Amino acid sequence: MFELLRKAVIDMDDSKVAALVSQALREEINPVDILEDGLISGMQEVAILFARKEYYVPEVLLSSEAFYAGFDIIKPLIGKSSRKPKAKIVIGVVEGDIHDIGKNIVKVMMEAAGYEVIDLGRDVPYTQFVEAVEREKPDILALSSLMTTTMTQMDMVIKELEQRKLRGDVKVIVGGAPVNHEFAMKIKADGYSPDGPSTVTLIERIIGG
Amino acid sequence: MVCADHGAHLLRLEFKEVAQNGKKLARVLQRCYELYGYDMVLVFSDPYVEAQSMGCPVKLNPYPTLLGPASNNSIDRTQEIIRAAEILKDKLDVPIFVSVKGPFTLAAFLGGIERFLKMILKNENEASQLLRDAQQNQLEYLERILSVGVNIMIGDPLASSSVISPAVFAKHALVGIKSIIEKSKAHGVLAGIHICGDVSPILKHLDTSGADILSVENIDVQTDTVRMGGVGTDTILNGDIRRIRSEVENALRQKPIILSTSCDVPAQTNPENIKTMLRIASECGNELRGI
Repeated sequence: MFELLRKAVIDMDDSKVAALVSQALREEINPVDILEDGLISGMQEVAILFARKEYYVPEVLLSSEAFYAGFDIIKPLIGKSSRKPKAKIVIGVVEGDIHDIGKNIVKVMMEAAGYEVIDLGRDVPYTQFVEAVEREKPDILALSSLMTTTMTQMDMVIKELEQRKLRGDVKVIVGGAPVNHEFAMKIKADGYSPDGPSTVTLIERIIGG
Repeated sequence: MVCADHGAHLLRLEFKEVAQNGKKLARVLQRCYELYGYDMVLVFSDPYVEAQSMGCPVKLNPYPTLLGPASNNSIDRTQEIIRAAEILKDKLDVPIFVSVKGPFTLAAFLGGIERFLKMILKNENEASQLLRDAQQNQLEYLERILSVGVNIMIGDPLASSSVISPAVFAKHALVGIKSIIEKSKAHGVLAGIHICGDVSPILKHLDTSGADILSVENIDVQTDTVRMGGVGTDTILNGDIRRIRSEVENALRQKPIILSTSCDVPAQTNPENIKTMLRIASECGNELRGI
C-alpha cells in the first residue's frame, strides 16, 4: 500500500492518491504511517528528482497536487494523533509580488518534511509578517520574492522585526529568482535557498544549529 | 538592458504613465540612452503588453503585475509600443530592438501560469490551443512591428529550464520562437532571444534556432551565436565597483559577446552603477584595442 501511494505521488496521479488514502483508512492503517511512509516518502523522491533535473516545475506542481489530494483527507486525523511538527514556519510572498508558484512548492516541501506551515499568501505587507511572528511565534520566517522591485521588502521585514525587538526570536530565510546569498547577507537574513528541496536542508541546518 | 521601469524611475514619472503612452516611453528610453551612451536601445515596457491586449487583467502601478488569466477585458497597448519604436527609430542612430513575448510564455499568461504549466502535462489539447492562439497573435503583432523596420528581441522567461524540461521546451516552446525568428529574418532585421535562468539543457536548440543574439544569464557557455549579458542584475543593483569590474572583465573575455546586464536593469538601480559598468567596458575595450 505505502509503495503504491508513494508511486502515485511521484506519478502525479491525484485521483489515485485520494483513492489509496481512503482505502488505507478503511483498512484502519495509522494515518501517521500513511502520511510518512506514503505521501511524504513520495514527495521526498520528487524533491530528489527536481534536484537532479529529472523533474521540473510542472511535474512538481502536479506531484504537489497529488500529495495534497491525500494530505487533505488525513490532515484532520493527524491533528488528533501524537505526530508533533518539527518546527513552526510562517511563509509568504512580500508586498507588491503576486508570484507564488515558488512559495507554494517550498510550502509543500516543508509540510512533507514534517514542519507546521502558516501560509500568509502573496502580496503580504511587511507589517503583516511581523504581526504573524508576534502572534504565531514561529521558529522560521520564510520570505519569497520573484521581482527585483519587491525584494527590498524583505529588508523592511527584517528592520521592522529589529525595531519591535523580535529579531532574536525568529530565524529569517529568503528565496526567489532575483535573491541570492549576497543579498541575504546584506539584509542580515539567516539563510538563503534557491529552491524547495534545498530550503528544507537549510531549515534543518538552522534548526539543528 | 535599460527599460521603461528604470527610465520612469529616473525621470520621476509613474510607471503607469510611461507604459500607456508611446511618446513618453520613447522619451524615457531616449533620455536613458543619452545619459548612459550604450550602443542599442530596447523598446520594452513590461512583460504583459500582449497578454493585456488579449484580455489578461494587468496592474501597472507601482510595478507591472499580471493579475490573472485572460478574460473579456482587453486593453491594447501594442500601438503605444509601436509608436515608441517609430519615434526612436527616427531619432536615434543606433539599432532599435522591440521586445516580443515568446508564444509559450504568452500562452502561460493567457491560461494562468500555474494552470498552464500543469495543463502542458495533463491536458495537452487545451495547452496546444492556447499556444496556437498565442503564436498567431504574436505573428500578427510582429508584422506590425516589422513594418517600422526595427529589430526583434524575443523574451520567453517561462521557457527557461528553470521552469520546464528540455523535452517540453522542444515540443511546445521552440516552434513559436522559431516562427518569430524566421519572419523577422525574412524582413532582413536581427532577431534575438532572451531567456532568464538556466538555459544550459536547451542551449543547442537556441544556438541552432537561427537567432542572431542569445541573451542569457550565464554567458560562460560555448555557442556559435553571439551571446549577450555578462553583468548580473543583482550586481548592477547592489554590487560595488570591484564586483562590476570583475563581471565586465569576465564578459569581455568571452567571444562573441554583447556586454549587457543579464536581464532588465532594476528600476531603483543607482545610475552611477550603470555608468561605472559602461566606463569599465570602455577602458577594457581600449586595452583590447591597444589604445
